[in-house]
Amino acid sequence: MTRSKSNRKTSSLIRYCRRIFSDIGALQRENLVSLTCLEAQELENIFALLLLGSFVGLPSPPSFLAVELLPFMEREIQVLHRRAEDAGDMLAEIAGTLGID
Amino acid sequence: MKILFFTGKGGVGKSTLAAAAAWQLSQRKRVLAVSLDPAHNLGDVFGVSLVDGRRNFSATLQLREVDLKKLSRDYLERETSVLSESYHYLRTLNLDRYFSILKYSPGIEEYALLNSIEKTLREEGAFDYIVFDTPPTGLTLRFLALPQVTITWIERLTAIRRQILDKRHTIQKIRGPLKEGEESPEIRLQYDERDDDILKRLRTLDGNYRDLTRTLQGADCGVVVVFNPDLLSLRESERLIEGLRELKLPLALLIANKVTEENRPTAERVTGALKRRAGAAVPATSVALNREFVLGGPAPLYGIAEDLTAHLDRGGTGHV
Repeated sequence: MTRSKSNRKTSSLIRYCRRIFSDIGALQRENLVSLTCLEAQELENIFALLLLGSFVGLPSPPSFLAVELLPFMEREIQVLHRRAEDAGDMLAEIAGTLGID
Repeated sequence: MKILFFTGKGGVGKSTLAAAAAWQLSQRKRVLAVSLDPAHNLGDVFGVSLVDGRRNFSATLQLREVDLKKLSRDYLERETSVLSESYHYLRTLNLDRYFSILKYSPGIEEYALLNSIEKTLREEGAFDYIVFDTPPTGLTLRFLALPQVTITWIERLTAIRRQILDKRHTIQKIRGPLKEGEESPEIRLQYDERDDDILKRLRTLDGNYRDLTRTLQGADCGVVVVFNPDLLSLRESERLIEGLRELKLPLALLIANKVTEENRPTAERVTGALKRRAGAAVPATSVALNREFVLGGPAPLYGIAEDLTAHLDRGGTGHV
């Protein structure tokens, strides 16, 4: 009875430790990935800007190319909007991504 | 199937000569004559009215007039329906209003025109010849240049798209597979080139435009430049030949139209200047001004005395 209780405690401790290590691993991976995420989002932003740039006076491809791709551009347009909203505080955003306090 | 584009300055007689060439070719071959000029007069030249933009003039000659405004409208309506399917939350918004503005956007008309040419070439394989009567020089050069300009843009956009997918793939690899019940918006994004809708669409467009460019630059396609013996016509034809050279489009024939006994020396000088610019391999011919046309004589407008098929039905075109 006592032995089985102790076994249970040990296995729960192991599970707990395993969880801690796994979370530390996930945290490390998230740190690694955050910069790549930012890069990917910037590229999506550039892609949307290039395609829809005529609205803000940038040289743009023929309008029909934008119209052809518009149905699949939902995420890119969202990124573009978010970027436009955050544009006022770019320094804070870059500092946040690079972990500068 | 051979394709001929009749081009030149406004009012030089493109439509008349395109109609004459189509009629002459139809004596031996099956011919489709298509008017791309917004100011259609193919029906006027043949003296018939076209129902729904088309009519069989004879057993071997079909006439067609392309309605540019309708084409642009149809294209935008098609895109609107795809948009409404993709952005469900936008269904409540009035998209029609947005698209009614888009139709005035530069390029949509040229694109509709190009789409119409591409569709005609794809669907009308039963004809031996397709003769296009084009709008005046500026618009013609713009829509003929469109496939190549678009391919350049598609290449740039495809490169950026590939970079995005590459980054997403890296993110997915570092983060590892999702645990049960876990949701991450970043991981759910497509990272495989075969799954990405934008890249798939870009690839389809790229393929279509490369095919079209290949067809337009091929040996079975030829541009006929029609001009009058005057300075303005000479200058514009020179620019047209230069534009065709840049686009690597083959020149089939130079036609000096409205030549009379009085202006023959000028016509010869203008033809000589254009031949020097176009290259010795490009044939040239002249068509006399028939005063009966102006007076509304009994001869039909397309019935010219000169034989154009001798130059057009030879099989070869010269690259400028």
